[in-house]
Amino acid sequence: MDFAFMWETFLTLLPGLPLTLELAATSILAGGILAAIISLVAVIGGPIGRGFTQGYVFVFRGSPLLVQMFLIYYGLGQFRPFLQEIGVWGIFREPYWCAVIALTLNTAAYSSEIFRGGLQAVSIQQVEAARACGMSGVLLFRRIILPIAIRQALPAYGNEIILMLKATALASVITIMEVTGLAGKLIADSFRAFEVFIVAGAIYLAITFLVTRLLRIIEFWLSPHLRLRPPSLT
Amino acid sequence: MSDRGTMLTADNNKNSTAAVSVKDLRKCFGQLEVLKGVSLEAQEGDVISILGSSGSGKSTMLRCINMLEVPDSGEIRIGGEMFALKKGRHKTQPADRRQVDRLREHIGMVFQSFNLWSHMTILENVIEAPVHVQKRNRAECIEEAEALLERVGIAEKRNFYPAHLSGGQQQRAAIARALAQRPRVMLFDEPTSALDPELVGEVLKVMRSLAEEGRTMLVVTHEMAFARDVSSRVVFLHKGVVEEEGNPDEIFRNPNSERFKQFLSVER
Repeated sequence: MDFAFMWETFLTLLPGLPLTLELAATSILAGGILAAIISLVAVIGGPIGRGFTQGYVFVFRGSPLLVQMFLIYYGLGQFRPFLQEIGVWGIFREPYWCAVIALTLNTAAYSSEIFRGGLQAVSIQQVEAARACGMSGVLLFRRIILPIAIRQALPAYGNEIILMLKATALASVITIMEVTGLAGKLIADSFRAFEVFIVAGAIYLAITFLVTRLLRIIEFWLSPHLRLRPPSLT
Repeated sequence: MSDRGTMLTADNNKNSTAAVSVKDLRKCFGQLEVLKGVSLEAQEGDVISILGSSGSGKSTMLRCINMLEVPDSGEIRIGGEMFALKKGRHKTQPADRRQVDRLREHIGMVFQSFNLWSHMTILENVIEAPVHVQKRNRAECIEEAEALLERVGIAEKRNFYPAHLSGGQQQRAAIARALAQRPRVMLFDEPTSALDPELVGEVLKVMRSLAEEGRTMLVVTHEMAFARDVSSRVVFLHKGVVEEEGNPDEIFRNPNSERFKQFLSVER
């Protein structure tokens, strides 16, 4: 292995990191908001809401992210006149936004299921105790259901965040020059796939390491009630 | 002790508004008719023990009093105010959700499995309803909550989470939480049934002290000693009807109903 070349590779790939992080942050945030809405509709939306959200999840969880990305980036190009007419062509012309949309819609499907699970696992007993003292509606949701649901959903959602971070690599196939995109380009120039992908992989590994630490800190901070020992003695 | 209870009842009978009044309560779960017209009245200061074997409808009746179960028909009044119900196509519903919330503020409920909020400390559990439902001053609520925790004997546990407490401690915390609402009436739904035998005593002791200070309490229980010694009145439910009712001294000594006799022989 050529360590000098690997260091050079590292310096070449590093400028792609902000774009990787931006793609991940934007789609995780947007997807999280969308997922929250979808999971709420699934839980309180009645049969129609449940049917709609089940359909959404079925489609976006059931087909490959890569296919969804191709559909949005290449496929929608066929409808350019129509998209121009309604004034959204500017968005679908940009590979960046196509990637963000695909990632967002995809993570929203997975995350909504995670959130729904978190919400539905809130025990009826704790909800009844809240109702019994006069809580209902938004207050009940904000004070009791949501805090418990978040704590229950967090470990699984942390998984989803990490999956999304890595899924941004797929954006390279629709011409986006994030870490993997730059790696591909460098391989085409240097023919040294092994070193380049080792470095690219190490960069992802470093980010996910930091993110898992962060998630663990959040989880620790949110769950004093699950630790074996009482937090303090007074 | 029961003399005191009887006297209190007699005193308060002059008062026309009962703390809790239940009239001709009916409730079905599907085909199963659980309550077949139950009536009950609790004056201020009454401690009513509700006995009955499993499936007799006693828990359902108690849960109807604060609308955790909505009865199919009948009247429930809290301090004279009746829960407004409306008949839907399939089932009866509360007519006014806000009235339900408002009346529930005056009803403290203690559950069989404690039902403390797992993500909050004991102190946070106790101040939750006063601060966020009743919008009282937080500092005052904390002060009052600490006094209540002191009273039920777990002041030193106030910053613990429910999972760190024994069952008996959790149930005492749940009693403190219900008391923090400054309720007009306390409902206990088999408060000692989920406890290990050695922990039952500490909870009963707290309940006994509440009865002694003249709180209005409706207690669904299997604790015969509590029913006999502490309550001012005992109601025995069987298959959804009140089978026997009266002063504990009298009905424990001379039960009229065959079923109550049978029940007593099994429970004792």
